Amino acid sequence: MRNVIAFIEQKAGTPRRVSFELATAAKDLAAQLGGQAHAVVVGNGAGAVANSLKAYPVDVIHVAEDADVDAFLVDPAVDYVEAVAREAGPSVVLVPNTMLGRDVGSRLAARLDAGLTADVTELHVDAGRVVSVSPKLGGLTITSCAFKDGDYGVVAVRPNTFAARQEAGTGEIVQIAKPAGKSYAITVEDEVVEAAPELGVDEASVVVSGGRGVGGPDPFTTILKDLADALGGAVGASRAAVDAGWVSHSHQVGQTGKTISPQLYVAVGISGAIQHKVGMRTAGTIVAINKDAGVPIGEFADLLVVGDLFGIVPELTKRVREAKAVPA
Amino acid sequence: MKIVVTVKLVPDTNADKRIDPATKRLVRTGVETVLNPFDEYAIEAALQLKEKLGEGTTVTIFSMAPESGKEVVRKALAMGADDAVMLSDAGLEGSDVWGTAYAMAAALKKTGFDLVVCGTQSTDAITGEVPGVLAEYLGVPGLTYLRKLEVDGTTVRGERETDTGFQKVSASLPALVSVTKSINEPRYPSLKGIMGAKKKTIAPLALADLGLDRAVGSDGAKTELVALAAPPARGKGRTATAADGAEGAQIIVDFLKEKKLL
Repeated sequence: MRNVIAFIEQKAGTPRRVSFELATAAKDLAAQLGGQAHAVVVGNGAGAVANSLKAYPVDVIHVAEDADVDAFLVDPAVDYVEAVAREAGPSVVLVPNTMLGRDVGSRLAARLDAGLTADVTELHVDAGRVVSVSPKLGGLTITSCAFKDGDYGVVAVRPNTFAARQEAGTGEIVQIAKPAGKSYAITVEDEVVEAAPELGVDEASVVVSGGRGVGGPDPFTTILKDLADALGGAVGASRAAVDAGWVSHSHQVGQTGKTISPQLYVAVGISGAIQHKVGMRTAGTIVAINKDAGVPIGEFADLLVVGDLFGIVPELTKRVREAKAVPA
Repeated sequence: MKIVVTVKLVPDTNADKRIDPATKRLVRTGVETVLNPFDEYAIEAALQLKEKLGEGTTVTIFSMAPESGKEVVRKALAMGADDAVMLSDAGLEGSDVWGTAYAMAAALKKTGFDLVVCGTQSTDAITGEVPGVLAEYLGVPGLTYLRKLEVDGTTVRGERETDTGFQKVSASLPALVSVTKSINEPRYPSLKGIMGAKKKTIAPLALADLGLDRAVGSDGAKTELVALAAPPARGKGRTATAADGAEGAQIIVDFLKEKKLL
């Protein structure tokens, strides 16, 4: 495995933030392996994303502006990445640890007979082998897995693991030929957007989450949303809030939701049971706001403020806005 | 129609778990083994399909697990599945994602199916990658992350969750689907179900029955566990009591500035 291929997830010309993180990581890993960094971007709007990738340090940008990628689920994208991988030869493929990234990565691994690692939070080369580090068993243990001899390996990287770095690479744009005579099995009949496209909890560097203590659906669209906006982050939720129907499952952090590593996690009215903890324990800094001093989250939060969340949160939003408006 | 639900047995999240430093595997002694919570949604989705489609539809539970997991598989039968198949073999120990899905695909082909229903991920390995690899090795469409599932004749249709909403997707049977926790509320086994499960068949399968052309288990694994470490300790931080909103907000602002987060 010498080359590194980054799968660039995008929708209608808007790349996911993790895409640039992967493009940067691909270059850094390829440098250690003595190979080249490739990026693959496909689907409607791929051309525009390919142009924006030129600001990042990849060597070759493979592009296919093909409507089939959006009209059919997963398979066309897998075809394109497979074609690039076969042409590049032995390589490590980086996909984002997102729903689409895992789908593309897992199917690609089967086609390439490759090993695969998931939810990777660190990547390095040891004695010529690529080693993926990922938390398992709800963060009980951190595993390091090396790819054995084999031509290909697929790595699903957790968003926020690598910092994106702008640095113009040679960035040559190459069109990928459409595989001939293919028909695809899964039709995407319709795409329904229920929420305004925004950074999801898995990618945001700041997450403001609400739990049972917020008492209803409204705070998720008002005070929590305002604070998240002020901090440049996303709104998350505990299982209790999702099960109560206050906010949709895509916001859920925890065992049956998403496992995330934001720089800052603000837990509002969340007690911090183990099922929630496993989803956010790797956050950089954890701040909790709760009316009860005895909540479990107090045992692992960096700061627990005991008080009335309905008083604190709006006031905090105001002060964060003020602090951001006037650079210290 | 034959529906097969894949089920993983996992250590209970609430149990006190440890890793054996020598074998680098989880010490299962004293840790209760449970059905992977994500798979309960898959079982429920299959049972609801069966109830809707009526006569001629069966639900089979499939699990790759040591024979000792039989009683846990029986819990899935108690929910209402018709029978089960267990792939148990010492040669499977140490399988990675690739080997697991490769062996499972061979076993599922042997079992036969019109629709395979999976949970999205397990609570122990959390890769979320088995359904995709399985679909590919089975050579069937893989409709993942469904929050709504229906079968109409030979067409499977569903709503696939996305980060901003959902996609309406469809494909022809045979197919594989994975379902999210939004799809249903799994039932509890009834007393009648628990009693009835004792009489249901759990058919054993071994590696020799599959005739695999490639090694699985530790030998066939494409990845190798080279190190295990404890996560960085996350100790108790500060606790401050705020008399009002302004005080609470100021404590947090000062803290964020100190951490250079603001």
